[in-house]
Amino acid sequence: MRMRLKLKTVFVLYFMVSLFGLLYALMQLGQRCDCRDHEQSKDQQISQLKGELQKLQEHIKTSELSKKTDVPRIYVITPTYARLVQKAELTRLSHTFLHVPQLHWIVVEDAPQQTQLVSDFLSASGLTYTHLNKLTPKERKLQEGDPNWLKPRGAEQRNEGLRWLRWMGSTVHGKEAAALEEAVVYFADDDNTYSLQLFEEMRYTYRVSVWPVGLVGGMKFERPVVEDGKVVRFHTGWRPNRPFPIDMAGFAVSLRLVLTNKEALFDGDAQMGFLESSFLQHLVTMDDLEPKADLCTKVLVWHTRTEKPKMKREEALLKQGMGSDPDVEV
Amino acid sequence: MKSIFYTRFFILLPWILIVIIVIDIDTKRLSVRNTASFYLSRLGNVQQRQVVRTTRTSSSSTTASSSGRNATSLPVIYAITPTYSRAVQKAELTRLANTFRQVPQFHWIVVEDANSHTELVSRFLARCGVRYTHLNVFTPRRFKRTGMPRATEQRNLALGWIRGHRGSKDKGVVFFADDDNTYSLELFEEMRSTRRVSVWPVGLVGGRRYERPLVEKGKVVGWYTGWKADRPFAIDMAGFAVNLQVILSNPRALFKRRGAKPGMQESDFLKQITKVEDLEPKAKNCTQVLVWHTRTEKVNLGNEPKRQQDSVFIEV
Repeated sequence: MRMRLKLKTVFVLYFMVSLFGLLYALMQLGQRCDCRDHEQSKDQQISQLKGELQKLQEHIKTSELSKKTDVPRIYVITPTYARLVQKAELTRLSHTFLHVPQLHWIVVEDAPQQTQLVSDFLSASGLTYTHLNKLTPKERKLQEGDPNWLKPRGAEQRNEGLRWLRWMGSTVHGKEAAALEEAVVYFADDDNTYSLQLFEEMRYTYRVSVWPVGLVGGMKFERPVVEDGKVVRFHTGWRPNRPFPIDMAGFAVSLRLVLTNKEALFDGDAQMGFLESSFLQHLVTMDDLEPKADLCTKVLVWHTRTEKPKMKREEALLKQGMGSDPDVEV
Repeated sequence: MKSIFYTRFFILLPWILIVIIVIDIDTKRLSVRNTASFYLSRLGNVQQRQVVRTTRTSSSSTTASSSGRNATSLPVIYAITPTYSRAVQKAELTRLANTFRQVPQFHWIVVEDANSHTELVSRFLARCGVRYTHLNVFTPRRFKRTGMPRATEQRNLALGWIRGHRGSKDKGVVFFADDDNTYSLELFEEMRSTRRVSVWPVGLVGGRRYERPLVEKGKVVGWYTGWKADRPFAIDMAGFAVNLQVILSNPRALFKRRGAKPGMQESDFLKQITKVEDLEPKAKNCTQVLVWHTRTEKVNLGNEPKRQQDSVFIEV
């Protein structure tokens, strides 16, 4: 009897110890500490890999930029005029252009002479630029309260940009002249929005290239319609019978074509929406247009417009002699 | 028979326990190995960085190499951008990205006002070339009426993300960048040195050419503004930046939604984290305008066809 009791006790103790051990082991397995370490290291690995990826991308960009000194040059003609949002518009436009290799920015002011604001801005921008000015004749100028579609804006300034290009084209020689053979001209208004891919699309323009433009003509987008690699018509919401129903932001022209067709200018007296056609009809026919942006299926430029800022408070305070400091450039 | 069964069970039990414990130890060893590999990879990183520096030094100017060296210790600028779907959304994000891409040590936190990530923004961010975090939170319809503050939930979600993913060893500055404003590159270098909260003028805001803090002897003493000048912080959302550690050490500081009066969002937030006398004036003692409160006109879609006319779907 005593022997039996002792043996039973031993077995019971053995069982309990084993059970506790098992529970301890299970708890160890279930502890989140390990999981946290594991997850943390995963997160750190991910962020580390992302960092490395970013560095590699920057490295690629640097090497690409240094390599791209032999790609065709893009001349961008931007008409601009003094207004409250001018500096802001030029600022974000310059941020886009800073990314584009071999870009030459031709800024043409609608002013009797070059203003200090634009001169200072351009010299600080870090871009290669030419600063011009050309005043719009009074009879062609939009008056206060005129709707913005009444008269074409910027025609004189774009023509001034073209005049400068033709003068420049006639004065260069040798390598520079050879480079001009491949260069491209683009008319970029100062309030539109441009993706970087757009400039790579237009860089290899042989005559005149075209692409869709977003948010223009009362439509989400306007675009040339392409069949078998050729432009056959235009998807547009306004005056589709125009010879070239396309926005100013929707085409680029080979500089060679501009230099050899000296009569090609923008007609400041053209009726609404025909400014682009008045220039292009001297240069190409529809058959010769080169569709870009994935055969005109991608929107890479948007015809955005900035609201006129409200200045009610400013006017009220001016009457009280407490207007904002004119020396602070805005 | 029974006794044999019990005997075998009790003999096997400890072996099972031993196996389980060994497995557990193996797991721990694995985590130890992960840690070791992490440190080793860090060492590899250091070596790679040295290589990169060498490359830069040989291929670029001294200035570039020195800035390259500084880049590793530069505070990160976290730009919080609330956005919502509309016709000009992609255009706005495009030119914003064109600016941000040129700012070193930059982290873009884009918060959509939506129930889930939209495909347009997801695809855009994946190709934008800026380091980013993509979040979304839907603003309840009752908060979308005219005159009510916008983007409150989105900014608060971004603050929550920062508090959950950054720690005391991180150096950075938090800035609220709406998706339609215009920012000069100089602005980001000005705000990078923010120790607590820095302020600067904002152009074209509040019905004026600019609004700005009034500064005397390097201290903010008042506000030049045409609207509610009696606010404790009479400043626009684009007119201040906050050091990352200030955000982390005030975990309950959020933008108020309930009971917020018009134009008080900025004041209600800044009141929780700083005082006027502690503000740091930037932009040459607040005499330079480096950011503009621009707004894009609503798009006229009067000629848009009622039915899908184009055979190709085109994202705008």
